[in-house]
Amino acid sequence: MAPAVNATIKPDPDVVWSAADVSMAAVLEALDNLRKQFAVAEAQDAEHPHPRSCVMTLIALTSTDAEERRATRAARAIGKLHPAQLVVIRDQPDLRPGRIDAAIITDTHRPDASCCPIQCELVLLHVKGAAGEHLASLVDPLLQSGVPTYLWWVGTPPFGKRELADALRICDALVLDSARFEAPYRSLLELSRLGSSSHQRLGLADMQWARLEPWRETVAQFFAPADRRVLMNGITEVGVDYVGEGRGNRVAAALLIGWLSSALGWKLQKAAGGGGGIVAAHFSASDGWRPVQVAFRSVPKAQLAQGEVSAIRVAGAAGGRTFQLTVLRDPERPPRPGPDIGAGGYQSQHPAGGEDDAGLELAQRRATWHRDVLNGSRESLHHTATGDAPGESVSPPAVFVRERRRADNSLVLLTLIDIGGATLRHVQRVEPEDEAALLLRVLSFGTHDNVYERSLTAAAELMQAI
Amino acid sequence: MTTLAPNPLAEGLRDYRVAEPCLMVIFGATGDLSGRKLLPALYNLAKQRLLPAGFAVIGAAIDDLTDDSFRKRAAEKITEFSRTQPIDKQVLDSFLSSCFYSRVDFGRLDDFKALQRRLGELDTSRHVAGNRIFYCATPPPTYETIVEQVKGAAMVAREGFHRIVIEKPFGSDLKSARELTQVLQRVFQEDQVYRIDHYLGKETVQNIVAFRFANSIFEPVWNANLVDHVQITVAEEIGVEGRGAYYDKAGALRDIVQNHALQLLALVAMEPPLAFEANTMRDEKVKVLRAIRPIVGDEVERSTVRGQYTKGWVLGEQVPPYREEKNVAPGSLTETFAALRLFVDNWRWANVPFYIRAGKRMPKRVTEIRIEFKRPPHLTFGREATKELDPNALTLRIQPEEGISLKFGAKVPSAGLRIRSVTMDFQYMTTFLVETPEAYERLLLDCMIGDPTLFTRADEVEAAWKLIDPIEAAWRDGHPSLAMYPAGTWGPPAAVKLLQQDGREWHRP
Repeated sequence: MAPAVNATIKPDPDVVWSAADVSMAAVLEALDNLRKQFAVAEAQDAEHPHPRSCVMTLIALTSTDAEERRATRAARAIGKLHPAQLVVIRDQPDLRPGRIDAAIITDTHRPDASCCPIQCELVLLHVKGAAGEHLASLVDPLLQSGVPTYLWWVGTPPFGKRELADALRICDALVLDSARFEAPYRSLLELSRLGSSSHQRLGLADMQWARLEPWRETVAQFFAPADRRVLMNGITEVGVDYVGEGRGNRVAAALLIGWLSSALGWKLQKAAGGGGGIVAAHFSASDGWRPVQVAFRSVPKAQLAQGEVSAIRVAGAAGGRTFQLTVLRDPERPPRPGPDIGAGGYQSQHPAGGEDDAGLELAQRRATWHRDVLNGSRESLHHTATGDAPGESVSPPAVFVRERRRADNSLVLLTLIDIGGATLRHVQRVEPEDEAALLLRVLSFGTHDNVYERSLTAAAELMQAI
Repeated sequence: MTTLAPNPLAEGLRDYRVAEPCLMVIFGATGDLSGRKLLPALYNLAKQRLLPAGFAVIGAAIDDLTDDSFRKRAAEKITEFSRTQPIDKQVLDSFLSSCFYSRVDFGRLDDFKALQRRLGELDTSRHVAGNRIFYCATPPPTYETIVEQVKGAAMVAREGFHRIVIEKPFGSDLKSARELTQVLQRVFQEDQVYRIDHYLGKETVQNIVAFRFANSIFEPVWNANLVDHVQITVAEEIGVEGRGAYYDKAGALRDIVQNHALQLLALVAMEPPLAFEANTMRDEKVKVLRAIRPIVGDEVERSTVRGQYTKGWVLGEQVPPYREEKNVAPGSLTETFAALRLFVDNWRWANVPFYIRAGKRMPKRVTEIRIEFKRPPHLTFGREATKELDPNALTLRIQPEEGISLKFGAKVPSAGLRIRSVTMDFQYMTTFLVETPEAYERLLLDCMIGDPTLFTRADEVEAAWKLIDPIEAAWRDGHPSLAMYPAGTWGPPAAVKLLQQDGREWHRP
């Protein structure tokens, strides 16, 4: 996992150009002018402006203020490290009249005294009305030729809807974060279906998968030595502890089991969920007769976000040796004093009723009702407050923002290895990461990940069977 | 040897380069190399979670230390020299808990036997299956003693892998290099010997191979048909910096040209290897080194230049002459600058000169490879329009501003027709602003994994010495004479003449 990179940019962006109700041609012209101005100013006596380089087009699609802030910040941080065409779109389909408001943000930096200055531009589009349903036509002129286009769907993509299909037409890969999905259980199944039905060229990258990498590395490392390979064929038990209850919080655990089962050729026989977040699943190993028992259990951990994995245990016997591998997250970390509540954070106006999907759905219904009431009276409230004519669009109020990720997310992994003798302890630290770092990581290493896709399929199968 | 099937759980892990657990014995663990480079590199590997569970360092040196006092010392060195700051206490504590110390007098077999017992205990408690790396962070004259004692204490008789790492110089001439190889091979097979040339661990050096063989557009022009000549510059602005005693015996030819510069030449000139894999890569490099036309007899006078810096100004500071540096003989004739004209006698590079220059106290620190192409066969635009047009050139900058620049002609916007040279620059810094790992991190991990691709093989070392020895012998006889150059310049006038007589000139980096 990469260390935090958001800190590399200044918090307040420089908005160097903005316009309301503009055409995309005007946005392109403004962008072109800004680049020319910078090139001329930067070249000065050197006569030849330095050529620009570009490694990708990154389009972030957002639907709330909080998502827009996150996306803008992460995209700017990425642009500083890897020159890119950056576009953040705020889709506001409910607002009328339909129009595009645009702004261009620039960040200028000089990586080193010996390097020329670099200017990164980010195009911010507020798309009101129906235009957002036709993303391809909107952003096509902004796409950089010859480099990959990544579409980062910052929230939960509208699986099965036309606008998602339209958006996927113009991109080489869809990037999302299944740890932030609303209704995570259903969304994971939809994501799995998307993965298996989309065209071959489309890459699919999940930041949750990147977040699980230290766990996968640690388990893979255990079996790396030549004399331990045989132990892989002797695994009989796997346990995963996760935080929170309800099937929606088992996505990360299911992805880990999906990864193990698909890599080692295990076949799911049956699975059942019980009270207290306990899940038991039975697999048969690739040799056909050896059973592998998998158990999930919900273990409260105040310092972890709902759905995060807190431990994994792998045990078995082979070649006359028994073994147990235990990987524990933050074994000695003190509990956090309370939840983070701040800008873009979790506002508990509507109690979620636990992290179970059923509870979430009830809370969402209440939130929707609340929003409808507010939306219904929005125009008159806005008129009263500002004196603007009725019909002037305003942003919908955010009444239910659910934040699954925590800012303080560094972790310590304690590995306990027991192979028929003294227990060996091994401590590893995973540096805190932020969204920009994770995003950069999945983009840098490619978004066509067969291992993820097969693990996702296996995870979805397991989730459905529970 | 049976090949182990890939670990199915490692598939798709992006940074997964994990070694099997092993014990790394560092001979000379209290010395400068260990404190400045090795321990900080290992700490940074731990920080990146690249050290496997069970890995342990066993410091072995003459000092009377306990495990705890060695850990304290290691912590101080890591804190001072780690490339990543601030130090992560949790990672450091965890790493230090896997550090141990054993007092070893290299002359006493009993000390090695005690070390062997300690290794045996750690083998069991840390599940390392007998895997061991012996790192000689000691002066080359100790290598033979260490190897003999390792053998005498039966430290390589058990199961698991056993590797030995040695630092350059790998001998001081062909004879001593062969003797060193024979010493090592009394105990270790060639594929167990890891000769570190830290230059090869640099990211940008590895990128030479990526640039050449991951792109299809450069290889078709990478030959005598289109390349006029190649220049390799390895310049340092510093003097001998406390290494006077060693340097005065070695000189620029042996210290830089024999290893770093010839390795760069080999990477630029080699044929495409079948894979980025140890033996195929090194086979191709050896072929190039063997194809270099020997410089013997009068040719040494014509094709080489040796120089020594006098007092001068470097980066705005006055610096003393070489002969006044600490531990340098007052009348020293050791060269601090070497320039060579080489030819690679094969089909690809027939009659293309490769100019190498390496020196100390030059105007700045720079390492670069410049491939200069031939001019177009016909002046379509006339002499006047192209009088400001230089030949096309491709420059691979290794340090400090890692990057690639291509020089080509473009029309100057105006009503008339005038063409002048422009450069298209690619800078790593502005494209991939990521922290580059220290060369030692890469090389230590490669050694633990058992990947010797970036290490030098015995036949490469020997091929390089075969080329250098006749030059060195002629230089000792005073041919050509030692040319002096003021510190802060690009070498003596003779170096300029070396190219001028071919109708060429050095590129100013």
